[in-house]
Amino acid sequence: MTSFTGGPIHPLEGTVLKALVINDKLSIETLARNTGLGLDQIRRAVEWLRLKKLVRLDEITVISLGKSGYLAIQNGLPERRLVNHLKGDKSHIGDILNTGFFTQSDSHSAFRYAKQNKWIEQVLDDSGKKIFVLTAEADSLSAEERLLNKLLEMKNLKVSELSPNEISSFNSLKKRDPDYVIERKLSDESIVTILEDGKKFLSSAKISSQIFGPKNKIQIQEQHEIGSPIDVEAPVRFLFPGRIHPIVNLVKEISEIFVGLGFTEIEGPMLQTSFWNFDALFTPQDHPAREMQDTFYISKIKDDKFATQDQIRKVAVSHNEGWGYKWNIEDARGIVLRTHTTPITLKYLADNKPTKAKLFSIGRVFRNEKISYKHLAEFTQVEGVVTDSVVTLKDLMALQIEFYKKLGIKKVKFWPTFFPYTEPSLQTMIYNEKLEKWVELFGMGIFRPQVTRPLGLENPVLAWGGGLERLAMLRLGLTDVRDLYNNNLGWLRSIPRCPL
Amino acid sequence: MPVITISFDRIAKFFPQRRLQDVLDIFPFLGLDIEGVNDSEVRLEYNPNRPDFASDYGIVRAAKGLLEIETGIPDFKLSKSSGTAVNVCMSTKTIRPYIVSMIAKNGYLDNGSIKQLISMQEDLHSIVGRHRIKASIGIHNYDVIKFPISYTTVDKEFSFAPLGESLKHTISEILSTIDSGKTYGRILQNTERYPMIIDAENNVLSFPPIINGSITRIDPNTTNLFVEITGTNLKAAEDILSVISMTLYDMGFRIYTVLAHLDGISKETPDMGCSKIKVETNYINKLLGLDLHKSEILRCLRKSRLDGELVSDNTIECTIPRYRTDIIDDTDLVEDIAIGFGINRFEATKLSSALHGNRSYSSRYLDLVRETMIGLGLTEVVNFNLVSRRVHYQLMGIPEPSNMLTVEKTKSIEHEILRERLIPSLIETLSHNIHEEYPQALFEIGKIFRLKDKIQEYWNLGLVLAHSKSNYSSCKSIVQTFMKTCIGKEISTKTNQNAMFVLGRSSNVIVDDMTVGYIGEIKPTISSSFKLRVPVVAAELNLSQVMSLC
Repeated sequence: MTSFTGGPIHPLEGTVLKALVINDKLSIETLARNTGLGLDQIRRAVEWLRLKKLVRLDEITVISLGKSGYLAIQNGLPERRLVNHLKGDKSHIGDILNTGFFTQSDSHSAFRYAKQNKWIEQVLDDSGKKIFVLTAEADSLSAEERLLNKLLEMKNLKVSELSPNEISSFNSLKKRDPDYVIERKLSDESIVTILEDGKKFLSSAKISSQIFGPKNKIQIQEQHEIGSPIDVEAPVRFLFPGRIHPIVNLVKEISEIFVGLGFTEIEGPMLQTSFWNFDALFTPQDHPAREMQDTFYISKIKDDKFATQDQIRKVAVSHNEGWGYKWNIEDARGIVLRTHTTPITLKYLADNKPTKAKLFSIGRVFRNEKISYKHLAEFTQVEGVVTDSVVTLKDLMALQIEFYKKLGIKKVKFWPTFFPYTEPSLQTMIYNEKLEKWVELFGMGIFRPQVTRPLGLENPVLAWGGGLERLAMLRLGLTDVRDLYNNNLGWLRSIPRCPL
Repeated sequence: MPVITISFDRIAKFFPQRRLQDVLDIFPFLGLDIEGVNDSEVRLEYNPNRPDFASDYGIVRAAKGLLEIETGIPDFKLSKSSGTAVNVCMSTKTIRPYIVSMIAKNGYLDNGSIKQLISMQEDLHSIVGRHRIKASIGIHNYDVIKFPISYTTVDKEFSFAPLGESLKHTISEILSTIDSGKTYGRILQNTERYPMIIDAENNVLSFPPIINGSITRIDPNTTNLFVEITGTNLKAAEDILSVISMTLYDMGFRIYTVLAHLDGISKETPDMGCSKIKVETNYINKLLGLDLHKSEILRCLRKSRLDGELVSDNTIECTIPRYRTDIIDDTDLVEDIAIGFGINRFEATKLSSALHGNRSYSSRYLDLVRETMIGLGLTEVVNFNLVSRRVHYQLMGIPEPSNMLTVEKTKSIEHEILRERLIPSLIETLSHNIHEEYPQALFEIGKIFRLKDKIQEYWNLGLVLAHSKSNYSSCKSIVQTFMKTCIGKEISTKTNQNAMFVLGRSSNVIVDDMTVGYIGEIKPTISSSFKLRVPVVAAELNLSQVMSLC
């Protein structure tokens, strides 16, 4: 990196720089003490400043005795041991070295360093043979021994404070056995030195007089009031707040639209009898949708008391006359996971017989589908109904337009379609600006007399509904419906709350 | 939903005066969804209540009405009786009792119309015939048949050459080796006798509902047809015959009736007589929100290829051709009048009825629960009600109860049973997110299902905390704060034993002397079977119960 040319810096960096104005050099530890910041914060700030070439960092290395060092203090270095042997025994030096007191490498260094220390010298003996004898120097300590002793006494020595002699002894010992003396870095005592660029930066930022320090209350106040420039471009952490699931948000939004249009929410069980899910809705008993291939039936359970005798009789008549077959009560007893929310609506209407009502429900519905990017076995259905003495197909269309307008959908058109329980039946097409095409959305219609009559409903009932997932996918930009419910935390944490 | 393909060449032939786009634009207003368009053809999805849309002739018939090229009841003439007969044997009565048939002569089949005929046959088989159970169709070359023919039964050693085969096969062989035999053979289960249509020279026309004989196969040179429908449901068989008769008539054939003799009774088919249904003009306008004059209503009926006449000041008697099997009462007529009027011509009105609306009590309450959980920093997940036994019981170390709520014939083992608690789903959610940043704190509000005397459904709240320092106390702290914040109640906890939780780190949650839930540290063996490497602590509360305390 080239030298730092300016720009904002992080408040931690500012604090460190300011502390260095008084003392050009401070250790990391002292900086922490003087600024009141944590060691980690100082280390981070110094690292950033070092990269910007505003400060220099000199690390402190200390040495201390290692395992071999302590042994040497106790028993002597090999050369000392050799000298001691020679003192008590006049035997030939070669014999001493080979008697087993020394390992092979020790015997080499013992001889080599005793000679280098001039503790022994070569003379000719009486018979003219060359032998080694102790010198007067043999009683004085070698430089290495002095360093070891000093380390025993001082525990730690800073490398930067060693004399040249000590440095060469340290290097020599290190070469002989790395365990004599151990070297390590004291990061907290590393020295930070402000560089010229750092000083210049401070003065150019015109804040050099505001020296931050815990004891300077006035300056702390200023710091809060003014706020020193920081590296506003530096990355910061993301937070993960608690969030509501996107499909629940859509349910809330749609509920609010319904309430705004004067609709009241109704709800009911997910498990329904075939009677309320199908028969009461004039769905013939051999209709393919009623097969286990399409609908989830609960094993081994049937319901005996699902409707009044009157309701059952009249529904039977509807089927017998309308479809021309013999309606079978047994087929109505099965328990299914509701395939739509319409049984809830129907049961409510049958129980309360309102002459005038606007109702809605939103809930989970089930189909025995193979899961794919297009299909789920469970999805969310929304449904609205209106009943009144005079309500018409035109009202139903008007209601749709109003409903979609509140969802931000402006282009709507209607096509005829078919449902067993409504007549006339229409489907809504909405224009999706992003996809640039018409998309099929909710179905709607007026409940057939074969549905309303057996339940004693006198007024026409307008109804519309459909799956919410398609709408959710358009909103959230998904192409695979499974992504709505796989609870991928990465997605849940990142999807914008207000999708466009 | 069934789909029909129509080539642009045929559209041009049928609508010589109209631009292609104008014709395509009218289709949706007949209830046909345009599923796809390419350079040469359009694919239309039609509703199964309109079997007459199973061929392009039926669609053209309806479109010509809406475009006012031809209106009213479509032209159809039944030629005088052919005099030919089908003798029905009593033995068919318990197996496949009904047969209806007709003869179509002096027609001309090109490749395009043969294609339409075959795809119509397939669609009618599945929609009206309920996959050939209620009714099935045989279309034959009339010229090779020696009348009278008989509809009878045979045993499984009987043999003939089925369509597509040159050699004779026995019934057993056909049912076990030929594709349609394997597919539809189950319709003829539990019987020793098999239905067979045989002509005067003992040639096999058809082995219904499995396969035709090879002798009567049709090709582009065939000009005369014999069509028979057999079935277990007479209405379905007659409905299909009426649709095919109408289609063949539109193709240029002359339609002749056939007599069926059974047990001394003779019946002539097809019966193409129109039906009549009365509809009140007030009812039409009241349902549609329109103010249509009587003459306008009659015009709308004719545009929908129906007809009507005014029988009193207020009443129109409508005429419905036999092939419109979807019309059962006056309400159906109202829809056809709306379609004839043009759905695109309806003008949206302002809604009149003013009512106050509100959300249900439980929706509002569950929203408060949700809000409280968000405030505590948890993220909502939504799982399915149907779960796998493996995740719900096996991996959680919970024995399967005998009163488990199981669904029949599920297409996926992921959706086998209704869940009894939320925690297993939440643990599974955690296991899908092991690569996401921790801590992970999730909650779910969902239904749980129990079978006691009857099926019970409750709203529950489940929560899981997963991170290196999560423990019992952190979870109890959330539950306690939730209860205090949401309903202003203190909780107490009492040690319990739970198969999911570490012994000694598991408790019941008690509010006002009522146990409303439980908390515990998930056993490490369970966590590791879900590949979770951080401690997980979970809680579950019965919100239906908690709700009763506020």
